[in-house]
Amino acid sequence: MDNDPRQDQALAALFSAAKDNAPTPTPDFMERLACDADAALPKYETSAPAPAPSILSSLKGLFAASGLTVAAALGVWIGLVMPETLNTLVDGFAVDDTVSLSAFLPGADLAALSE
Amino acid sequence: MDQTNVTRIDDEDTAPDAALLVAYANGDGAAGRTLLNRLSPKLFGYATRVLGDRAEAEDVVQETMLKLWKIAPDWRQGEAQVSTWAYRVMVNMCTDKLRKRQSQGQVALDAVAEPEADLKSAVDQMTDVARVDALQGALNTLPDRQKQAVVLRHLEGMNNPEIAQIMDIGVEAVESLTARGKRALKAALAGRKEELGFEDG
Repeated sequence: MDNDPRQDQALAALFSAAKDNAPTPTPDFMERLACDADAALPKYETSAPAPAPSILSSLKGLFAASGLTVAAALGVWIGLVMPETLNTLVDGFAVDDTVSLSAFLPGADLAALSE
Repeated sequence: MDQTNVTRIDDEDTAPDAALLVAYANGDGAAGRTLLNRLSPKLFGYATRVLGDRAEAEDVVQETMLKLWKIAPDWRQGEAQVSTWAYRVMVNMCTDKLRKRQSQGQVALDAVAEPEADLKSAVDQMTDVARVDALQGALNTLPDRQKQAVVLRHLEGMNNPEIAQIMDIGVEAVESLTARGKRALKAALAGRKEELGFEDG
């Protein structure tokens, strides 16, 4: 009886009808599930936008940058225009005075060759 | 500019379940709704058939979905299928409910008789609604594990390895459960021949 094909066909017809008429959830129930999903949704904080730089802080930066530039330019100018003055200053502190600072200036090697 | 950590899926209708779940965990509510609409009707169908009670089925589906949302941030893609995980949770909850019912004596399983009637001719004469009712009535008489295996195999259309994963048993055990379940179903239907209008064949 277990392997009776007619019994199997009957059962298959019942399965087929049940599949075609599957129980469906009500719209209310689906809405309830959706509310649950929304309530459980992981929340992420919106990252705060970086504050706009103020005019004052921008000027401070500008002054700082321009001060450094001016100091550097002045140093180069003094080195090029008044190397002897630098030598005098350095001589006052240097222990070993056999090397002149002017030897490191541009063109010093050519000057040495021409001597 | 609105800067958030939410990553959205371009085509949620075709996205895999796991991708939707990960998107939900990253704050994409629409992905969660898509996954909900995909999973919950199937879970509800399964639970209703196994429990034979819509209200109880709603409870277990709701609880299963809540558990899914809870584990979403820890979900690791590739380790398991979301649907398999959800069915597994459902099966366990349904088993608990059925056991509780039995311990409270709410369901008295019918004595299973050998099939005697000609089911085929009877079923041929039944309407779809009557067929569904007849099958549900017979399903309600099966032992829990047989019922769950039969529903997953013959009504949810899953294959044996999937069912084995969901029920946490071997494939051979699934084959045995479904075979015994089908035999018991035929016997249960035959046992209700008068109610269903069967004729002896």
